[in-house]
Amino acid sequence: MKPILSIRHLSKRYGRIQAVKQLSLDVEKGQIFGILGPNGSGKTTTLGMVLDLVRPDFGSFEWFGEAPVKESRKRIGAVIETPNFFPYLSARKNLEIVAKVKDYNYDDIDRALHMTSLYDRRNDKFKTYSFGMKQRLAVASALLNQPDVMILDEPTNGLDPQGIAQIRELIRTVAREGITIILASHLLDEVQKICSNVAVLNKGEILYSGEVHQVLAVSDSFELAAHDQEALKEAVAAHPSFRSVTETDGILLAVFGDDVRPGDINEYLHGKKITLTHLTERKRTLEQHFLELLKENES
Amino acid sequence: MKLLIIELKKVLTYKTFWIIIGLYFLFLGLGIVMAEYIVNAMVDDMNKRLPIPLPHAVLFNFPDIWQNLTFFASIRYVLIFPAIVVIILITNEFTNKTVRQNIVNGMSRNEFIFSKLQVVFWMALVITIILTLVMFILGLSHSDSQSLSMMFNRFNFVIGFFIQMLTILCYAFFTAFLLRNTGLAIALFTLYATIIEPVIYFFLRAPFMWENKVYTYLPVNAVIRVVEYPAIPALKRLMNLQLQESVTLLGCAMPLLYSAVMIGLVFLIFNRKDL
Repeated sequence: MKPILSIRHLSKRYGRIQAVKQLSLDVEKGQIFGILGPNGSGKTTTLGMVLDLVRPDFGSFEWFGEAPVKESRKRIGAVIETPNFFPYLSARKNLEIVAKVKDYNYDDIDRALHMTSLYDRRNDKFKTYSFGMKQRLAVASALLNQPDVMILDEPTNGLDPQGIAQIRELIRTVAREGITIILASHLLDEVQKICSNVAVLNKGEILYSGEVHQVLAVSDSFELAAHDQEALKEAVAAHPSFRSVTETDGILLAVFGDDVRPGDINEYLHGKKITLTHLTERKRTLEQHFLELLKENES
Repeated sequence: MKLLIIELKKVLTYKTFWIIIGLYFLFLGLGIVMAEYIVNAMVDDMNKRLPIPLPHAVLFNFPDIWQNLTFFASIRYVLIFPAIVVIILITNEFTNKTVRQNIVNGMSRNEFIFSKLQVVFWMALVITIILTLVMFILGLSHSDSQSLSMMFNRFNFVIGFFIQMLTILCYAFFTAFLLRNTGLAIALFTLYATIIEPVIYFFLRAPFMWENKVYTYLPVNAVIRVVEYPAIPALKRLMNLQLQESVTLLGCAMPLLYSAVMIGLVFLIFNRKDL
């Protein structure tokens, strides 16, 4: 089956800054695809290009297996950066304009307003809305008439915790309906909680991409000590998931991949006739891991 | 049709639109009411120094009214009001970023331009129709019974006025798409139309006085020159002018040519730039 979105070698330069560099990726149907990267990594520029807002310098992309035309954009619901509506029009009127542009009738507007809990305020002017409500209206406009794909660029930016929870819940609800979702975010936590697939972006290039649990798998490290440190070191290095080991003040810091648990280590070392005097699991936070991904790329 | 409905949704509930349009018709109405007094006050003033007194001007009788009122309605200070409305309606899309939303939702860039061109066209047409109705009613109440052919003798000035309005709105359309910023666009447009171009005109006029009248073809001037003079016999005698009897083909072609160029430039610029 053809991918929903297929990007090939997309590049964009703003003056001296290369915003997006030779970027290629595929988003398959049904995925919740996260584009993860720090601010300025090229997420918004990339989405801008596939939505015909930004002209690429180089490269191409296809929606639904076809060269992009305006008709393909009508099957996409997009929330880009800030909510963009006419301040002097009501929520309903703003959605009527969206529906008209997309060649839909107005039948689906109430459903979208209900889903985003804006129905009671539908006749109030957009400028009277709180930021959270504005953001939800943007989601409502993207939801009109069940799009095939939904694009969300930093949908929880600037929201309070309650607003963040509401938006995330909405995204999950939408995903359950089988709508493919492309989510750009600088929050690792957000991508990990919501997405099935991810591309990690830095300085306009993809560092890693794949399924979330693979790319963002946390390799745990353990503090270990035994009476015979040398034997311990050898045994640790012989472990099939071994990554690295360092020694400080008589304690080894060993890093393993593949989701190794403390019990596994204990059992493994016991089998090698080593009795541990010290075993502590040191979990790295996801944020640390993400920063390391970026750092590795820089060095 | 779909594009027009979308534009109407955006415009009809927009308070600023109604306020400026209201101001425009207020000024226009006041101008029409006062025009006759002002012109005749000038005539009275001049008569003090003339051996043979000039007759009082009558502005509102058929068929002169078509020429007179379109002349007063196309003074540059009046024309800029509807132009400012067009600028606001277009730059709003950029400041509210709704243009991005429109494109994302599946409007093509050309469709977006067409939707704004519809605003330009319909606004020019509606203003022309309203002014025509006003002229018709005023003319009926100020003229003795005349034959229809006599009444509509100078109706071609109304066509001329429509071209004037269409062109000035096209200039506004171009300025808005080029600058994208409401304040900047209004300031530069007004400055150009009311000060910069008259100054350029003044400096061009001297060297070219006896040659080819190049200075009358500056953009805003070309628009104003479609209806060059009001039909006031006193003026004719006083200034020894050959007054125009109708709008000329060249007079109308120049502004239309400018409009076409501006529209073409907008398509070129808007399709290339990022949003």
